[in-house]
Amino acid sequence: MWRVRNMFQIFLVFFLWDTIFANSQRIVFGYDRQKMLTYIFGLIIVRALVLSSKANEVGGDISRGDIINLLLKPISYVKYWLTRDLSSKGINLIFAVFETILLYFILRPDFFLQGNILLLLSFATSIVLAILIYFLLLFTIGLVPFWVPESAWGISFLMLVVVEFLSGALFPLDILPVSVQSIINFTPFPYLLFFPLQIYLGKVGTLIMLRGIGVSFLWLGVLWLLMRSVWFKGLKSYQAYGR
Amino acid sequence: MEDRKEVQNLKLRIKYFGFSLVIGTFRAVSKFSFKFENIKELVSRCYYYFKIWLLMSKNSFIVMLEQKKLFFLFLLGKVLRFGFFILFLVFLVKGTENLAGYNSNQVIFFFLTFNLVDIVSQFLFREVYRFRPLLVSGDFDLVMTKPMNALFRVLMGGADVIDFITIPPLLIVLAIVGGGLNPNFFQIFSYLIFIINSLMIAAAFHILVLAFGIITLEIDHVIWIYRDLTNLGRFPVDIYRQPIQGILTYLIPVGIMMTFPVKAMLGLISSWGILFSFSLGILMVILSIKLWNRALKSYTSASS
Repeated sequence: MWRVRNMFQIFLVFFLWDTIFANSQRIVFGYDRQKMLTYIFGLIIVRALVLSSKANEVGGDISRGDIINLLLKPISYVKYWLTRDLSSKGINLIFAVFETILLYFILRPDFFLQGNILLLLSFATSIVLAILIYFLLLFTIGLVPFWVPESAWGISFLMLVVVEFLSGALFPLDILPVSVQSIINFTPFPYLLFFPLQIYLGKVGTLIMLRGIGVSFLWLGVLWLLMRSVWFKGLKSYQAYGR
Repeated sequence: MEDRKEVQNLKLRIKYFGFSLVIGTFRAVSKFSFKFENIKELVSRCYYYFKIWLLMSKNSFIVMLEQKKLFFLFLLGKVLRFGFFILFLVFLVKGTENLAGYNSNQVIFFFLTFNLVDIVSQFLFREVYRFRPLLVSGDFDLVMTKPMNALFRVLMGGADVIDFITIPPLLIVLAIVGGGLNPNFFQIFSYLIFIINSLMIAAAFHILVLAFGIITLEIDHVIWIYRDLTNLGRFPVDIYRQPIQGILTYLIPVGIMMTFPVKAMLGLISSWGILFSFSLGILMVILSIKLWNRALKSYTSASS
């Protein structure tokens, strides 16, 4: 059902930009109509790949005490959630492709098809990095209930709100002033959706693209270390009470 | 040429639909028999239910405030979401100069009005989100045995404290931004009346969800689809192409709920539009109550 809800959101964003680009020759925020609508449609696929995640259930698993069932099994807890995450993305991707085709026939937007192999490869790399960054973000945030069990639901909600706006899920981040963009670029969020789509659209030069991929790797490393540290500390403080 | 003919046809059909709706509403209202013999009894019943609502709201607030950390996280999330969206609108309209012919102040006022209707209806009707557990556990039987209207209990029995806290600052911002649009007294009055109409439609939607819940046990998804549909009213419905704009205005009717109050304040609604909107609001409430009564008859208390 959340796929249907996702489609409503795409509808809102599509018509918003469709109105702004009613004059097809118009260029706003450095986008022409074709590239902006490609950004909106690209969001369906990239969101399905990056933002559809099962790791947001980690907090609930810990606060309910269900984590103990998995800790007793001879499997890695982190890899278990990563596997669930990836399989969820597979299902969502199938739906996303179907939705894109459906919406394409309903809305008939102009599409920009990227033909540069190097950019497509970089786009794929940035997507893989985004998937891993988002998983680590959600997993690390999901560990907070080790200390504050009742916060599981609230902290996921807060995370979703921040990701929704700072990742470019609602609008391309380059409509914001440059100073605000520079601050956001220091966070991992723009590398989830905005940056991969910028690569696909060919809106970033080679140097900025390489720097962006480098920053994504950096965030991946930082979040990996942070996750490990929080995970081991959480395990030490976990008492499995009520189980 | 053919396109113009199609639009003319569509407009005629909408007018015919609207005319039938107004006549239907008058018929329905005239058939609606009031149970109360006199005004005094009506006032005393309202006071009785108001006291119950205060008591239930107090209980609901206490439950939420017990979980202070969760309460703070949700409040922060809602404030952040609101702030981010306002920022987005400011920068968007700054860069595009206008949106569907509306300037930046007007677009922000549309968004604030959407929030007002959305937050107030969530504050009042939050209990609808908790109806399913009552149904599947059979605890709804206990609601029906109490000396109060079961619909009132499941519709308004759990006011949301987070929404309650966000309403006063929202009203202040609305007054500031709305004041900048220089409305006259009549325009402000129209705006307020349209907001009441929007809340009536929101109430009708929530009652429909409850009735649908009794019949099918499906509530969670239906209520979220309602929320997503109303979210399409964050911007004036003028941004949508026809026939989606017509559907969103007259059939669903997100436009009447979210866009018409602001249009009324800007003096952009015809007398026909006013008549149509209020007829639809009244008719939806009457129909939703009728459907609820019918749904109650099909309730089997199976799980109790």
